Amino acid sequence: MEEVKKEMPKASPSGTVKKLRATAEASAYQKQWFQGLKARVEAGEDFAYLNADVPMEVLAAMDIPFVVNQWWAAICGAKRMTKKYFGLLRDAGYRDDLCSYCATALAESLDPDDHAYDEEGKPLGPWGGLPDPTIAITRLTCDCQGKIFELFAKNHGADYYAIENTQARTFPLNWWDYATYDWEKLYDKDRLDAAVEELKELIRYLEMKTGKMFDINRLQKVMDNINRQETWYGKIRDLIAECDKAPVTVVDTINAVMPAQWQRGSEWAADHAERLYYEIKELADKGEAAVPNEKYRLMWLGRGLWHDFAFYQNFEKKYGAAFVWSMYLAMGADAYRRYNVEADPLRALAARYIGMEDFLHMTPWNAQWYLQQARQNGIDGVVYMVPENCMQAVEGSFFIKKTLEDAGIPVLAFNADPVDARKWNRDTMTGLVEEFIENRVMKKEK
Amino acid sequence: MSIRKCALQDPSFTKLYEVYKDRDAAARAVKTAGGKVLAKLGSDVPDELVLAAGLFPVQVYADPAKKLVYTDQILEFAFDPVVRKQFEKLVDGTYKELADFLAVSNSTDVLIRVFLYLREILRSMPEQPVPPTTFIDMLFTRNRMHQERNELIFSLFRKQLEDWTGRTITDEDIKAAAAVCNANRAALRRIGELRHGEEVRINGTEALVIIGSGFFMDKKEHTALVEKIADAAANWPVITGKRVFLTGSNQEDLTVYSMIEEAGGVVIAEDHDWGDRSYERDFNMDYPVIRAIVDRYMLRSYSSKKAVVSQRIEALDAEVAAAKADAVIFYTNIYEDSASWDYPGQKKSLDAKGIPNACFAKMQYPAKANEGLAEKIAQFIKG
Repeated sequence: MEEVKKEMPKASPSGTVKKLRATAEASAYQKQWFQGLKARVEAGEDFAYLNADVPMEVLAAMDIPFVVNQWWAAICGAKRMTKKYFGLLRDAGYRDDLCSYCATALAESLDPDDHAYDEEGKPLGPWGGLPDPTIAITRLTCDCQGKIFELFAKNHGADYYAIENTQARTFPLNWWDYATYDWEKLYDKDRLDAAVEELKELIRYLEMKTGKMFDINRLQKVMDNINRQETWYGKIRDLIAECDKAPVTVVDTINAVMPAQWQRGSEWAADHAERLYYEIKELADKGEAAVPNEKYRLMWLGRGLWHDFAFYQNFEKKYGAAFVWSMYLAMGADAYRRYNVEADPLRALAARYIGMEDFLHMTPWNAQWYLQQARQNGIDGVVYMVPENCMQAVEGSFFIKKTLEDAGIPVLAFNADPVDARKWNRDTMTGLVEEFIENRVMKKEK
Repeated sequence: MSIRKCALQDPSFTKLYEVYKDRDAAARAVKTAGGKVLAKLGSDVPDELVLAAGLFPVQVYADPAKKLVYTDQILEFAFDPVVRKQFEKLVDGTYKELADFLAVSNSTDVLIRVFLYLREILRSMPEQPVPPTTFIDMLFTRNRMHQERNELIFSLFRKQLEDWTGRTITDEDIKAAAAVCNANRAALRRIGELRHGEEVRINGTEALVIIGSGFFMDKKEHTALVEKIADAAANWPVITGKRVFLTGSNQEDLTVYSMIEEAGGVVIAEDHDWGDRSYERDFNMDYPVIRAIVDRYMLRSYSSKKAVVSQRIEALDAEVAAAKADAVIFYTNIYEDSASWDYPGQKKSLDAKGIPNACFAKMQYPAKANEGLAEKIAQFIKG
């Protein structure tokens, strides 16, 4: 990878103020990385399209280029392509009101202009469009997931590969105390065994498909890099929690963390996490607050609001309310690290990827973690976006709300869509959150 | 034409119809007599093991009239209306009173969520009257690895039943129960032949009663009555009309079928779990018992929930051809969305074969809540 062009922090077209150099760097890196990926695909390399909960570490270790579905859906959402794409789905006979997060790339695959340019030579597809994958891999974490990925694969002429999903029978409530070192104790043994078998099958398939050998030592290196990267995220999360006034908000952290999270396992991602930490620490050491008048700390639950990031900053000046917590940073800190890898890197990886669905979408694990995180971060109120058309994201919102509110932390839960701007009314949502801050958060004295 | 006079005059059919209408009566009688009842949620809880454990299996069903006192608080919008009505009965004490145990199979992802919620209610809200609950986490992707995993999963279910009942379930117990189940399926296949053949002697509404009553009564008794109906129905009047295949949501009541058949169609087959799919594929007596259960429940025809689009296109084409259907109706309840991804490809394939089809998606539940539905169905049938 060539040296990344330096970009300075700036306001995005949507009005979001991005504060960090690391955010700009990540933004520049991922564009450059994507162009490099396209060049590799054009040169004939296999290219995989993965759902976020697929163990991408295997592909990283095998140096198979890949793009993650959720990252790409976020890019498409941020580029305001959703309306066009879901119109294409509708024209093809599909419903346009389903699975917006997972079906964005399928919809894009119907776009004849995805790789075309306008009269001024600007690409019509996001970042010039998605190259044709040769492999599409998902986990069967909902009934629609396999169907969407199979259709997507067919449209691109790619192989479709599915990894099964299993349910936990045992579930120690404080999973975060086990996940990093004692992960073997976190899962039913047979479940972890089965996940390792899934990995072996996947590896064999990828070896046959690409002609590349999977080398366990390279996986260990990938795992080590990830531990390094996620450890920095843990330090950042703890630092923000400890500061009197947060040096950064979710607008900074999500945009800095997520591009690197999808590159996890690489040296760049681990180094970037380190740089991010020191940049935020420098702000903290200087006493710089992201919201100088910070009075209330808010937690954002749910997927990122990719089409309207500026929304998060709407409540800073008026109320001193700062969104300081989202899962995107904290998941890396608590859910992704796996030490004691040397004995069996595949088993350690299995212990990471099967947990992703559990930690986020399985009650009571998600609710208990949110409570622990709310306490650590001194959260005054929780704003919780419950996706309205997605069974995969159905995660026991009742139990999450109850757990937090029983502990005295007010919760505003509302239905919205993370990528579909058609279903979003910023004024209505702003009103809802303002009412919540005024009536629930401000009345609950710190 | 819904249920015809010839059926209503048949004492065996009448008996099944009574069971179909009063679905809890047999379970209540079992409880009164000191027996134990296991409620099943999902279509992949194996009767072979439940019966072998000496338990009386009943299917969890929705009560359209039930107010959703707990459900509207606990479940998100994305749960479909039938599951919502089922869930209310699972948390309001209905099944705590009727059943001793509950087994949930992951026949659809929705039921995985339902199980997780019930488990959390049992853990954190113990005052809520939910019966002891277990989950059958079988896998549906067809390969060696998952077939092997499913052996473990059904063995765990066997162990759970042993723990609950305090008795050992032997292989012989399972084979004996499997023989009862196979006999029941064989009897139902005779009913199927009277629907799918050149001459249709049993309509879809009648078939729903015959099949569905078996979810709530003693299986041997059900088999005997079904056999008698099959004997009698061979002489029931031949039904003419457009032969309709119905694909999509489970039909727990007769409303949609009645609409189709009142309009002059006849539902000669379907692929949901309250119809033909429920008696597909036998327990193979030549296999080791757990492997035979895996074989039976894993390798039935592809369900709309647990198969990819190409498999569903192939399955529907094959089933429509086997039933010699003239037309296909797609019918899915609101929020029961996964089949929506299959639909365009299935439609394209049917269109290519010249098979007329109509789609009724995002339907309200109960079906009668859909304004103008009967008229739209009639328009299609007569068109």
